[in-house]
Order: sequence, then C-alpha cells, then structure tokens
Amino acid sequence: MTIITKNLQVLGGSVGFFIEIMSSSAHTFRNREEVFNQTLHVFWQSLLTTGFAGFFVGAIMALQFTLQMEVFSALSYLGGLVTSATVREVGPLLIAFLLSGKIGAFTSAELGTMKVSEQIDAIRCLGADPIEEVIVPRFFGIVLASFFLLTVGLMCSLFGGILMASIFAGIPWEQYIRHVPTIMNGFSLTSGVVKCFSFSLVIATLCTYRGYSVRGGAKEVGEGVVQAATQTMISLVLADWVSSLILEELLNV
Amino acid sequence: MIEFKNLNKSFGDRQILKDLNIDIPQGKIVFVLGMSGTGKSVLLKNIVGLLKPDSGEIWVDGFPVHEMSEKQMSQVRKICGMVFQQPALFDFIDVYENVAYGLRRHERLREEQIQERVVESLALVGLKGIEKKWPHELSYGMKKRVSLARTVALKPKILLFDEPTTGLDPISTSRVNELILDLSRKLGTTSIVVSHDMKSALSVADHIIVLDKGRMLSQGSPTDMRNSSEHLIQEFLQEV
Repeated sequence: MTIITKNLQVLGGSVGFFIEIMSSSAHTFRNREEVFNQTLHVFWQSLLTTGFAGFFVGAIMALQFTLQMEVFSALSYLGGLVTSATVREVGPLLIAFLLSGKIGAFTSAELGTMKVSEQIDAIRCLGADPIEEVIVPRFFGIVLASFFLLTVGLMCSLFGGILMASIFAGIPWEQYIRHVPTIMNGFSLTSGVVKCFSFSLVIATLCTYRGYSVRGGAKEVGEGVVQAATQTMISLVLADWVSSLILEELLNV
Repeated sequence: MIEFKNLNKSFGDRQILKDLNIDIPQGKIVFVLGMSGTGKSVLLKNIVGLLKPDSGEIWVDGFPVHEMSEKQMSQVRKICGMVFQQPALFDFIDVYENVAYGLRRHERLREEQIQERVVESLALVGLKGIEKKWPHELSYGMKKRVSLARTVALKPKILLFDEPTTGLDPISTSRVNELILDLSRKLGTTSIVVSHDMKSALSVADHIIVLDKGRMLSQGSPTDMRNSSEHLIQEFLQEV
C-alpha cells in the first residue's frame, strides 16, 4: 500500500471517527463529571510546560523584534507586535504542539493499551458504548483544556515579553503594553481563538482515533503512539495553513 | 441454549472457523479445547457480538445474534457474562466501581442494592473487603477473580470464559477451576470455557468439544475424551 493510500485511509478513518464522536456527544451532559475530570487532568498535566514555553516564546519574540525595530526607532510598538503575533499564530501553534506531544501521546497510548488489554471489549460486554464512555470525555477534555492553556500560555508570553523588553531594551512595562490594544485587534483575537479550537479538534480526533484503532499488542501500541504524534504534527501545520487562508478571506485582512 | 449453524469466520485470507455446527446444552459446563489459533476465542466473541460471522447463524437463548445490531446486542450481553483472557479491569476506577460497572448500565438499581451485589459477588470469588483497592494493587490472580466477580454481579444465564487459567500458577489454576464449577452450580448457569488445558477440562467439564483448524474434531463427555483415538486428543491427554 502506498503512503498516499495509507494517509488517505487515516484521513477517512479519522473523519468517520470524528462524526461518530459528534453523534455520541449528545450524552456528554450525562458524562459531565468525567468530561470535567478529563479537562482538569489535561490542564494540570500541561500547565507547567505551557506556561514555561509561553514565557520563553514571549521573551524570544521580544528579543528578535527589538533588534529589528531599533533600526526604525519604533520600539514603542514592540509590545503590540509581539503580543499580536503570539496571539494570532505562535501561541496557538506552540500550545497545540505541546499538547500533541504530551496529552496526545498519552491519550493514544492509554486507549491503545485499553484496546489490547480487552478493556474496550469488556466495556461493550458490560452494556456500555466505549465511544460514549471513554472517547467523548477525553475528546472534550482536550478541546476545553486547550482554551484554558492558551490563556495561560499567552499571559506567560506577555510576561516574558515585558521582562525581556525591560532587561534587553530598557522599555518600561507601561510603554510595552500601551500599543497592545492598538495592534492586537479583533482579528488577532478571533484568529487565535479559531486556530486554538481547530487545532484542539485535530489533536483530540487524531489521538483518540489512533489509540482506538490499535490492534495487537505492546508493539502496536508503540507504533500507534508514534503514528499519532507524527500525523498530528503534520495535520497541525496543514490546519494552520488552511485556517490562516480561510480567516484572511473571511475577515478580509 | 446456544446454537451455531454453518458458522464461517475469516480474517483476511485466513479462514478461522469453517462451517461450524455446535449445540451447547443448557445448564452444562462445556469446555472448548484446541491448539492456539484454531478459533476458540473467535467463537466466544461471536456469541457476544464482539465479532460478526461472515456467514452462518448463531442463536443464543432464542436471540439471532448473527443479525442483531450493536444496540440490540445489549439484551444478549445482559444474559451472557464474559470473562476475558486478560483481567481487563478498568485502571481508572477502584474494585468497587469495576464490579458495579455493568450493574450501573444494565440494571436500574438503587445504590444500596448495587453495594449489596458488589459485596456478594466479591464474596463469591473469595475476595471480601477489597472494594476500595485499585486494580494496580492486586496480584494477577486476584485481578482475574475480580473480573469474574464483575461478570457474575449481573447474574448472567450464560458464562463465557476465555482461557481463564492462562498465566496462573497450578494452585491458582485449581482455585479458578473450582470457582467455575462452584459458580456454575450455584448460579445454575450454562458455562462455556475456552481452554487448551485438558486437565482442567477433565476435572470440571460436563461436555468437551475439540476444535481443529476451525472445524469440530470431536465432542463428548470427559470419559469419551479419555477413550478417544484421535491423535490431537491423545496429544492433549499426554499432558495430563
């Protein structure tokens, strides 16, 4: 089977799986406690990494922009530019990469292990639907936690940017945030939120799908996790490109 | 009680079950023996609809399993309790919730009734007082017994065991065999035990079916098996 056929098969399978999750999500309210637990689990597992990465993204971007903007004597716009770029592009993508590495891999390994140790079959035999009971809470857990993590990541990046601008370029924090509302407009915010949402859907769908499709033993679980990680990364970059194009068209910016 | 008519099942090019015709009588302990890969587990999974046959019919207590949807299978799964080859306990909940899992989904019971059934089921498998323990705190043998308790908590009419003694030491094997015998008699269930352990079959079974390459090679009582001249059965008997 060629790589193209294999990838098309994964694409078709994951779209079908997403539809199955959506049709089973009518029971999400009944499983609200489990959804809440999963959201909390994803959030706590990724909080430190997201905050840490967010801080350094803000700091690095502030440093890079300082070097460029000093030439044009436009350092007062530094905060606005760094924050806008982070919210629009770098923040959602970075958080998505972190989530796919941490939570995505964890989820696909957990589901794969449940599958090969016959836990999924046991759930069916005990009168429950594994999609409703196991997949839907994990799916919504990833999607909901992504928003909270994005907020934390962006706040940390703002803080990192302020700190670096103050140390490296001597810009006080009042000056740094003064032009944030001017440059970071509604488009930047909408773009960030839409991207965060679409990326979280990609991660949640692919990682649950790859984990749930595992057949065999420990080796296949490992292979499933690796495939989930690589396919999620590639899909995220593609989703970023597609969502950027659509947003530019829709919001006409 | 359970009837297979011209059952066929393949995975890709490999045909696992070939025109299988079996009648499982009610209230008996039936052992299905055979070498690895002869389709014993596939046969059990077909009964509870975890796998669908390519052709043929499966009748379970009057239900035509071969043509039932996943949703309709809930009725069959309520009367058929399956104990898997692996303990298949859910790691994310404690022993109490594991045993209560099926009760919460199949039955409409009050919490006190659920608690009663959980305690009763754990006592049946000789594991009183471990309700608050987590699966990772139990030995493999204990996990297998909790899995059995989870199945019998639903008071099924049919018990399906997929290699229940695999991975157990001789003492635990004999305990599990006693449990199968004891539970089947106490609960009055029809039990199907898939195994390659002739010693257990001879000591526990009312009826033994031997599969070879997806077909039924022989069937009969333990005495019939002891007197069989079939080469494969002789090989199994040599291990006893």
